[in-house]
Amino acid sequence: MSRHVVTVTLCVVIAVLPVSLRAHHSFAAEFDSNTVVTLNGVITKVEWTNPHTYFHIDVTDDQGKVTNWAVEGGAPNALYRAGWKPTSLKAGDRVSIVGSRAKDGSNLANATSFTLPDGRCLFAGSSGPNGDATTTCRQVTR
Amino acid sequence: MIDRTRRRVLAVGALSLVVVSWPAVAQWQGYTTPGIPRKADGTFDAAAPVPRAADGKPDLSGIWMAPRIRVDLAQGMKKGETVPFTPEGKRIFDERRATNSKDDPGARCLPTGIPVRATLQTPFKILQTPGVTAILYESRTQFRQILTDGRSLPKEVDWPAWQGFSVGRWEQDTFVVETAGFNGKVWLDQVGTPASDAFRLTERFHRRDFGHMDLEMIIDDRTMYTRPWSTFAELLFQPDTELLEYICEENERDSAKMVGK
Repeated sequence: MSRHVVTVTLCVVIAVLPVSLRAHHSFAAEFDSNTVVTLNGVITKVEWTNPHTYFHIDVTDDQGKVTNWAVEGGAPNALYRAGWKPTSLKAGDRVSIVGSRAKDGSNLANATSFTLPDGRCLFAGSSGPNGDATTTCRQVTR
Repeated sequence: MIDRTRRRVLAVGALSLVVVSWPAVAQWQGYTTPGIPRKADGTFDAAAPVPRAADGKPDLSGIWMAPRIRVDLAQGMKKGETVPFTPEGKRIFDERRATNSKDDPGARCLPTGIPVRATLQTPFKILQTPGVTAILYESRTQFRQILTDGRSLPKEVDWPAWQGFSVGRWEQDTFVVETAGFNGKVWLDQVGTPASDAFRLTERFHRRDFGHMDLEMIIDDRTMYTRPWSTFAELLFQPDTELLEYICEENERDSAKMVGK
């Protein structure tokens, strides 16, 4: 029995809530759905803004070097309807984010899921081809 | 391995968590829409009859949204049909595909094409009143006025506009909206289906029952297409929610990052 199963179950529940999750632009012009990144770290700043939310996260590598990433989430209205609030993730929160990296190679990604330390997996409101929270959260926990 | 019962218990537990964590005093999201038909258990009755306005016509008022996202109008065409591009239309469309729509004005918070607004799975509210029917689009805080006071579209438009100018009339129970006077800059959808300033749009709204509306959009633009063509969308009435704020210009950072291929 594991937290893994709980995570999967929660993701399924969240995914069936009525959700409007649409981006305001072509996903493929900016992000590469084939370059999936998993970012484990600490939130440094949250921008609850249109047309996209941004979650900034400090990621520490094996050598101890810290890199700050910007992660684009769905619009506030899409996240709000999915059960989020502006305070759902705050600076200082530990989180694991799975997303698609920006094509320009910068430390920017489009999030597909957020997994909290307690195993809860939050839908990210992505419009990309990896944007199915159910699938993504399952991948994370396997 | 977890047995099925335990999974079920977990699922119920998870659902309770979500329900309990829902805002208890939600005045917008989750507020119970008054005056709409409900079943004995209190859930929305989508199959109830079409509501009627004072003049006896169907009342289309309410919040509507597509059941799933579609960014390409061609996906709403009848089976076997393809977009009848002119060579010029095809050239522009191919160029936009080749660059992954990086130059879409919508990505810069400029208006989106009217057709794609019905298929992007973003909510919009119809307010039907005598003389004018308004459509409020949540995404980007856009609005349209469809005048139903008997005027017709001007023969020549002296101010080409992003959204054009719209008039509406009833054909039996179908609300027919005609729009002309576009500026030739708008993209009809996110894949880049083009429109010139010769574009004319006819929308046919037919509310099937309380919860369902069929929409046919007829695209007529002899610069881009060899003949008028139709794309179809289904819209679902959205109970127990309200339009939320969406100020696109607030923090638009994508366009600078859109490299295309």
